[in-house]
Amino acid sequence: MTVTIEKKKQFIRFDPRTKIILLVLSMIVATTTPSLLYECVLILLIAGFGSVCGKVRYSLIGSAVFMALYLSTVFYLENSTGTMHTMFTAWLSLVFKVYPGGMLAGIAVSTTRVNEFLSAMNKAHISRKIIIPLAVMLRYIPTIREDWRYIKDAMRLRDVSPSIIGLFTHPGMTVECLYSPLLMAASKAADELAIASVTRGIENPKPRTCLIQIRFRIQDVLIILCFLAVPVASLCC
Amino acid sequence: MAEGGVENINLSVNAGECILLCGRSGCGKTTITKLINGLIPHYFAGELSGSVKVGSLDAFQTPMYQLAEKVGSVFQNPRTQFFNIDVDSEIAFGIENEAVRPDELHQRLDATIDTLKIKPLQGRNIFELSGGEKQKIAFASVYAMNPDVYLLDEPSSNLDMASIYDLKAYLQLLKQQRKTILIAEHRLYYLMDVADRIVYLSEGKIEAIHTPESFCALSGNTRKSMGLRAVDLRCVHPKDKPRREHSVLLEVKDVALHYKKRPIVKNITLKAAKGEIIGVVGCNGTGKTTFLRTLCGLHKDYTGAFLWSGKQQNGKDRMKRSYMVMQDVNYELFADSVGAECSFGIKNPDMELVEKTLSELELIPFREKHPNTLSGGQKQRVAVAVSMICGKELLVFDEPTSGLDFDSMQQVAALIQKLAADKIIFVVTHDYEFICQVCSRIIHFGQGQMTGGIVVSEENEKQIRERIGAVDTLERKD
Amino acid sequence: MSNQLQTNTVKKGLTVKDLIIMGVFAALLTVCSMIGGIFFAITPTLTFYFSIGAALLPGPVFLLLLAKVPKRGALAIIGTIVAVLSLVLGMHWAMGLGGLIGSLLADMVAGTKKYRSKKMNILAYIVYSFGPTGTYFAYFIDPQTWASTMLKKGTTEDYINAMNNTADWRVLVIMIVGTILVAWLSGFIGSKLLKKQFEKAGIIA
Repeated sequence: MTVTIEKKKQFIRFDPRTKIILLVLSMIVATTTPSLLYECVLILLIAGFGSVCGKVRYSLIGSAVFMALYLSTVFYLENSTGTMHTMFTAWLSLVFKVYPGGMLAGIAVSTTRVNEFLSAMNKAHISRKIIIPLAVMLRYIPTIREDWRYIKDAMRLRDVSPSIIGLFTHPGMTVECLYSPLLMAASKAADELAIASVTRGIENPKPRTCLIQIRFRIQDVLIILCFLAVPVASLCC
Repeated sequence: MAEGGVENINLSVNAGECILLCGRSGCGKTTITKLINGLIPHYFAGELSGSVKVGSLDAFQTPMYQLAEKVGSVFQNPRTQFFNIDVDSEIAFGIENEAVRPDELHQRLDATIDTLKIKPLQGRNIFELSGGEKQKIAFASVYAMNPDVYLLDEPSSNLDMASIYDLKAYLQLLKQQRKTILIAEHRLYYLMDVADRIVYLSEGKIEAIHTPESFCALSGNTRKSMGLRAVDLRCVHPKDKPRREHSVLLEVKDVALHYKKRPIVKNITLKAAKGEIIGVVGCNGTGKTTFLRTLCGLHKDYTGAFLWSGKQQNGKDRMKRSYMVMQDVNYELFADSVGAECSFGIKNPDMELVEKTLSELELIPFREKHPNTLSGGQKQRVAVAVSMICGKELLVFDEPTSGLDFDSMQQVAALIQKLAADKIIFVVTHDYEFICQVCSRIIHFGQGQMTGGIVVSEENEKQIRERIGAVDTLERKD
Repeated sequence: MSNQLQTNTVKKGLTVKDLIIMGVFAALLTVCSMIGGIFFAITPTLTFYFSIGAALLPGPVFLLLLAKVPKRGALAIIGTIVAVLSLVLGMHWAMGLGGLIGSLLADMVAGTKKYRSKKMNILAYIVYSFGPTGTYFAYFIDPQTWASTMLKKGTTEDYINAMNNTADWRVLVIMIVGTILVAWLSGFIGSKLLKKQFEKAGIIA
């Protein structure tokens, strides 16, 4: 674990707010662009961004998959007809609208630690009423996976199949097996988590400080300008 | 008076003193800690009279965040105490709330990590840590806030021996710093040379206040009648078990376990007969749980063979035969009442058997109650009832004594011994007292190996202690 | 329960405890709808029915949440968080927006009966379940421009014809009716479980 952190340090780090701005920009491009060519440029930019963040392999694969989709659209979809064609057109349109955002999000999520993200939210003066549940949510998702593992074991030992098939063959029983322990555990965890945080002063009205300090630097400005160029170009041309 | 309620409590604690609160489950020791950190009345409501003062602060009138700067609390369950995903942010959580300046945050974080010797944990994901390590982080987060008073509510419940001794070292450090400490705890042995006064509670009242000397001088029987566990593990010796002659039923042949393609344990070979209670010991992460899950047919990535009366068993066969009473037994209780739980998922439940099992386990009074409303020990018994009704022949208990007082531990011990008459039982535990009393032999996991078959008997005492790590700091070679 | 200190604990607005419960349940809601919906989302011909799959599992979670935090704003905040996260995770903007609108409306619906009526809460869940359909409404409002980005020559005759065909309106109807039915079922199961299990278990504060 420590090794990976040190490795990451060799690459350029960006402010989480920058990543959010980039995400918004690429979503704007993906939804408003008049032609897929702009999206190709965007994907290239994202791949470049990913590479400087240290996600070279991911960027290469991401671009390759996009190119495959793009080429198949250009060569195949343009010339075919039929209902399947219609369905695929609608679906692929959605894919193209979501793909750049998704690819960039993959980079952003894997290079940002949760505390950095929360620090950014804090710095953007977002209300505590949003930051606290958000932090808890991010922390609780891995717990659900742990809980599910235990529940699955318990179900199997009671000869109840922990699967979608079980849900249809023994609906009543499977539903209880699923929700009962999961929600009991969630209620208990919420309670204990609340206790552990109020006894450490989470209700303090003073503006919270943050261990991780984030700030805009020159690389942040540069990358935002690069990304900004795409929608500007698509507007001008 | 309701369970856990207290009355007529008069207690003044001097600065720098260490108070141990003990007594049966529900005697009110946790309630006292909640009165001091302000959880009562700010978080839990109820009838309340009297006053609690912490230094110059009135605990009932002071907002919790102000109290939090003076009183730090560590709780029982390491899994639900952390708010962040990474260790550093978690340690800084309290001081961030206090709005300590960013440059000072780092200083305090580094100082905490140094003093508590948790450098190896720095920068890691808390979800990857063991229970003991998580508990250290919970402690560190409170320590970073530098409170005057530390409250610990059954902090050792989910810890192994080594972690308990680490916790003890932390407490000794606090004493050197002249901090005030209050600990509510069932496991007493590690606190005898830490505590200055020992407060014994019963049914919500302070029954007696002892010094460690007068407390240790209590006879074993007096202590047991007070519902308290051993005060000195050096005085606990393995009991010889009557030998029961049964033929070998379960045979584990050269099993190797893998987890995500990495080998964990190799060459597990084991024979067991009905009537045996096998203690499974070893540090966290050595493959104990994986082995037992494989034994129950839940983990599939293994090589080797499992035989039941000489016949090879596949995963499904083993799953039918075995049952696991989990440490957090809540995960395996599904139904809306104890009665329904016992026949849950069985096509034609044998109502007579259900009836018999319920009365055998003294669960009749709770039949209509929801399992979630029962105490830990009672829930455990419900899970055992299920295994009996399903006719399981191999039972695995995962840490059955965590968080139990002496009486409940006795009950579990008696229950397991009774069950063993016609079953093979495995018990994962770190509890030396419990092993001495119940297990017929122990198997140990560590360094990718399983070493088997130390018979629990007086002559093997030294070996058993070493395997479990039940060696006090004084006796440990440093 | 006659102590005056009681007033301290009964706060009107959302307490830290409420916020933490909301966080835990937001995680559960999201995971449940992902598990139910993922199969639909990745299958090209079923992608329109994502909201039906997503509505299948979270009903009991939703109802228990409302039982535990019967306060104004709880759902709205969860909707906001999920919208922020779907933005960060690179979902289509209309999905986040749909989710936000869905949860705001759900908050209002459940609020009419002070979050205490099970029927209203189930209705609120049905409304909430329409959140993920945002993307598809964005599509249905203007299918031509939707695809025009992709196809250089603009949309083909064939595509426009197909879109104007009743078949595609059928898709919309199935999507809406299916979501209502499945969300109702999930909410109904939730209300049953609430009564059978959680009220009895004493976890509803």
